Amino acid sequence: MNESLLINFAVVILFLPLLGFIVTLLLGKKVSKIFIFENLVMLIGLILSIVLLIAKVTTFNNVSISSEFMWIDMGDVPVIGQIQIFLGLLLDDISALMIFVVFLISFLVHFFSIDYMKGDIRYNRYFAYLGLFTFSMAGIVLTHNLLMMYIFWELVGVSSYLLIGFWFEKKSASDAGKKAFIVNRIGDLGFLLGLLTLFLTYNTFSFVEIFTEISQGNLPLNSEFGLTITGIFIFCGAVGKSAQFPLHVWLPDAMEGPTPVSALIHAATMVAAGVYLVVRIFGILTADAMLIIATIGALSALIPATIALTQNDIKRVLAYSTVSQLGYMIMALGVGAYKFAFFHLITHAFFKACMFLGSGSVIHAMHHEQDIQNMGGLRKKMPITYATFLISAIAISGIPLTSGFLSKDGILAGTYAFGTLTGHWYFPFIGFLVAMMTAFYMFRLIILTFHGEPRNKEKYEHAHESSFIMVMPLVVLSILSFFIWYTPNPMDPEAGWMYSDWIKNPELHTPENLRFGFMQSDVTSVITPPGEHRIMYSETYTAALHHVHGSAVFLSIAMAVLGILLAFVMYQWKKISADILADKLKPLYKFSYNKWYFDELYHKIFVAGTIGLSRLIAWFDLKVIDGIVDGSAAVTKAFSKSIGWFDDNVIDGLVNLTASVSAFIGLIFSKFQTGKVQTYIIMVIFSLVILLFLFKSF
Amino acid sequence: MNFESLNTSLQFLKPEIAVSILLVVVVLFDLIFQNNKKALPVISITGLLVTGYFIIEQFTLNGYAFNLLTADAFGAFFKLIVALSAIFVILFSISSSEIIRCEDRQGEYYTLILGMVLGMFLISSATDLILIYLSIELLSLSSYILAGFVKTVERDSEASLKYVIYGGVASGVMLFGISIIYGLTGSTNLYTINSILQSAQLGGFTFIFAGFMVLSGIGFKISIAPFHFWTPDVYEGAPITITAFLSVASKAAGFALLVRFIKITFFDSMSESGYWILLNVIDWQSLLVLLSILTMTLGNFAALWQENLKRMLAYSSIAHAGYLLLAVAVLSNEGLIAVLVYFSIYLFMNLGAFFVVMLIANKIGSEDVDDYKGLGSSVSFLGVALAIFLLSLAGLPPTAGFIAKLYLFIALIDANMVTVAIIALLNTVVAYYYYVRVLKNLYLVRKEVEMEPVGVSFGNKIIILLLLIPVLVFGIYFTPIVNLAKSSIAFIGF
Repeated sequence: MNESLLINFAVVILFLPLLGFIVTLLLGKKVSKIFIFENLVMLIGLILSIVLLIAKVTTFNNVSISSEFMWIDMGDVPVIGQIQIFLGLLLDDISALMIFVVFLISFLVHFFSIDYMKGDIRYNRYFAYLGLFTFSMAGIVLTHNLLMMYIFWELVGVSSYLLIGFWFEKKSASDAGKKAFIVNRIGDLGFLLGLLTLFLTYNTFSFVEIFTEISQGNLPLNSEFGLTITGIFIFCGAVGKSAQFPLHVWLPDAMEGPTPVSALIHAATMVAAGVYLVVRIFGILTADAMLIIATIGALSALIPATIALTQNDIKRVLAYSTVSQLGYMIMALGVGAYKFAFFHLITHAFFKACMFLGSGSVIHAMHHEQDIQNMGGLRKKMPITYATFLISAIAISGIPLTSGFLSKDGILAGTYAFGTLTGHWYFPFIGFLVAMMTAFYMFRLIILTFHGEPRNKEKYEHAHESSFIMVMPLVVLSILSFFIWYTPNPMDPEAGWMYSDWIKNPELHTPENLRFGFMQSDVTSVITPPGEHRIMYSETYTAALHHVHGSAVFLSIAMAVLGILLAFVMYQWKKISADILADKLKPLYKFSYNKWYFDELYHKIFVAGTIGLSRLIAWFDLKVIDGIVDGSAAVTKAFSKSIGWFDDNVIDGLVNLTASVSAFIGLIFSKFQTGKVQTYIIMVIFSLVILLFLFKSF
Repeated sequence: MNFESLNTSLQFLKPEIAVSILLVVVVLFDLIFQNNKKALPVISITGLLVTGYFIIEQFTLNGYAFNLLTADAFGAFFKLIVALSAIFVILFSISSSEIIRCEDRQGEYYTLILGMVLGMFLISSATDLILIYLSIELLSLSSYILAGFVKTVERDSEASLKYVIYGGVASGVMLFGISIIYGLTGSTNLYTINSILQSAQLGGFTFIFAGFMVLSGIGFKISIAPFHFWTPDVYEGAPITITAFLSVASKAAGFALLVRFIKITFFDSMSESGYWILLNVIDWQSLLVLLSILTMTLGNFAALWQENLKRMLAYSSIAHAGYLLLAVAVLSNEGLIAVLVYFSIYLFMNLGAFFVVMLIANKIGSEDVDDYKGLGSSVSFLGVALAIFLLSLAGLPPTAGFIAKLYLFIALIDANMVTVAIIALLNTVVAYYYYVRVLKNLYLVRKEVEMEPVGVSFGNKIIILLLLIPVLVFGIYFTPIVNLAKSSIAFIGF
């Protein structure tokens, strides 16, 4: 297998879902079984992406292969300058891994949906939309330039909109779709600004070319501040798509969509696109930009975690947990723990998709009951769903032997090391605190759903384990949540292939003086032979990371166990009454239960603000302007007569005149066309003579 | 002439030879199998595809045949346009009710189309005034007959007769001009004339007079003002397939000739940035700018008043000739690229518009804009296709028509011809009115009488898609045609 074949593979993988979308959409009404085609297409895509991943990490490990073609070549455009736009694909270890994750989860979700969506009136269209989404997501992952990224970014937004509002007859669903779309627009505006700044500076959208320019010292807007602000602008796109604070409000509402969609889009892939974007531009982030990113990430990890503690809707708990975990990843990128961030992206995709699909299984069994207050005891009725859900919950809590432990512990160690190196101690503090909360709310969810006595007898009686089609994806995803797929040593990811061979620290292009101290290259890296990856972090960072590793492991396990214990004490053994506790901490409880009043706040500020502003203007219009008008009514009346005359005769006359003149010219022109051929010939000869007369004096 | 040079010359004439053979084959087939008219279009299209292969071969060639013709990428490009539009027109003819009615004379019909194609091929590569004249006559004579092909319809015969008389005068004037040039230079070969013009001061009124006369002959073919008078009448009267063919292929050949005539005969040198410096004989730039502005203004404004869609499209095609002439008037490689890009897009959108109008006319029996009122829902597929073609003709993104205009304006601004660019821009605004008026009638006006949905046969859907897809795709991904145009501006001798 050679490089060009690999690129061809990537092209096929990219366009397969589009084919599925078009065929399924066009034939959806005529062929009722067309969804099988869509599933088949996804299966082929999955197989191809597995082949691609294996070929990439074995034969072409560490090579990035790209292929491009010229889309638009305007040459040297007057005023603007050279405009040449290339489109193309980039295959490196990161994109190969990511495309596999996207296709695996997408296929499992397709498969799961066969039963889950059974009986829906727009059954085939649902699968078509899933195909469109997978195509757009694959585009984001495989592209080699920012423009294509932006195009697919918007396409992902569209398909997400279509899927959230899939049951558009429900007002809450169509509202949620709109909310997601509009909130994302705010972030995308920043992204657009960032990429335009880059294009204006470098005349290219390609990652590699932009990076080369920056490492040669050409900065956007010719200033260091320009580089920082560009990084932050592009990060804005990630804030929107990955539902980071303060734009996180759309994700919980997006749970109005079908549950498998939530698993695919709002847990594993689309929301991870934001993280992926930051991963892509990591090499050009300045220390200032990274600090902002880390702060946003930390806030996004903390706030939703506190909200998730008190929510009762099974999907909303998972949604807040997703925002919180994405915040972890963003924070990890901000503190420079690049490898752990991407590692967590992958592990999280599996166990969170598993939990969402598990919740789908529960909701399906309970006949669309989503409130965990009405559940309980489902363990006996749905043993497989329970087991897979439990495994995923253990993984997300960060208990050893799971994948989640490996990645989450790494992130915590990264923040810890960052704290020791820079003195920003609140990052590790928030990190460990959120780890405890995560374990607590996850086990609260499990205990209330699966343990204890059924609180709604009637629904409980009808509940049953889901069919094979729905259970199979759960099993696959939960198996992927064990450590063994990633490393042979359950305590140390560095012993494993994925962490040390597949995910590589990227080359840094930010000028040395703009980086964090620990990210500046030291002497050893300068003498590294060319062609090899430059060492990104200085020795001090590695040393710090090793230094804190032991205590980080101990602390993170302790936090997880503490959280789980607390959940058991409160909800299983009922040693502490949750209600009494809630009553005692009433203000805090209400604050969390009402999601920190973000929706209300935004409603007050933005929605009501807009309405208020328009009211103010209307009032101004009514009172002030009209007042003035009324006051000068007498004058106006007299004046208006003459104005009216002027208007009727001059202004309207002018407008009409333009139209009439055009029409008149046309009429004259068409009058030349007498239909008599002798007239034509005379006119030709006549005009020839005139032309000769005009040009004779040359 | 020895055998070897004959052989090399013939090498460069493969497309022309192929079309001639095809013409003979069609005539013979029609004579022998008198009852099998269905096979004629199939044979013609197959033959044209073979010809197309030879044309593509010609893109890399560079040579003279008999000192009369050249084989170069520029000529090949226009031959490709001609062959493609001929194929589409033959496809249209299969389902044209006008042509089907004259079933017994279909042999003539296809033969004459091929005759036109041969004429246009020769025009696109001729470099000798005699051959230029003869090939124009070949094209004209075939088109006179085709314009009046449906003898039973009065307006067809009238159109044909007007066309003959008008064309006769035009070719007479042109021949007069040619004879004066021959008298002054002693040669009919454009290259020889060029070298004589370079060495001797041959200016003066007589040469300008002769040049204008030749221009009027070419102007007749490409229907630019003030030589356009025949166009609306003939376009309206002729069968719609022939109108479509005349509006694209005939114009393409004429433009190829115009560019070749100016660029070879009056060429002095090429500036570094690709501008042509012409000999100081005739102020071509001012002349062409004047004519093009006249043409586009006249075409657009007169189109405002037309009730018949065919006639409206005739004026619209006059306006498009104005834009194209403006691109020629830039007298630069940049402008020439714009001409080629424009033509390759114009081919699809104009043929498409005519075809849809024809299909709708087949069903509702009218080409009047007023009869389109409220038709939108009954002609769903055709209506959408027509809308896209018309918007593309108007030059709105994301259709290909926008790209065509974009390259034209880039060339103009690059040459600092800003005033002219603004006039052209205002012209496109006027054009929106009459294009959009059709759409307004289709979709926004209430239906007067209920109509059965108008179906489209599968074959015709495919033909429309073949025209529609390029219009949409080239609007988004136009690098291929631009690259083709860039590689096709290579002239032999320069």
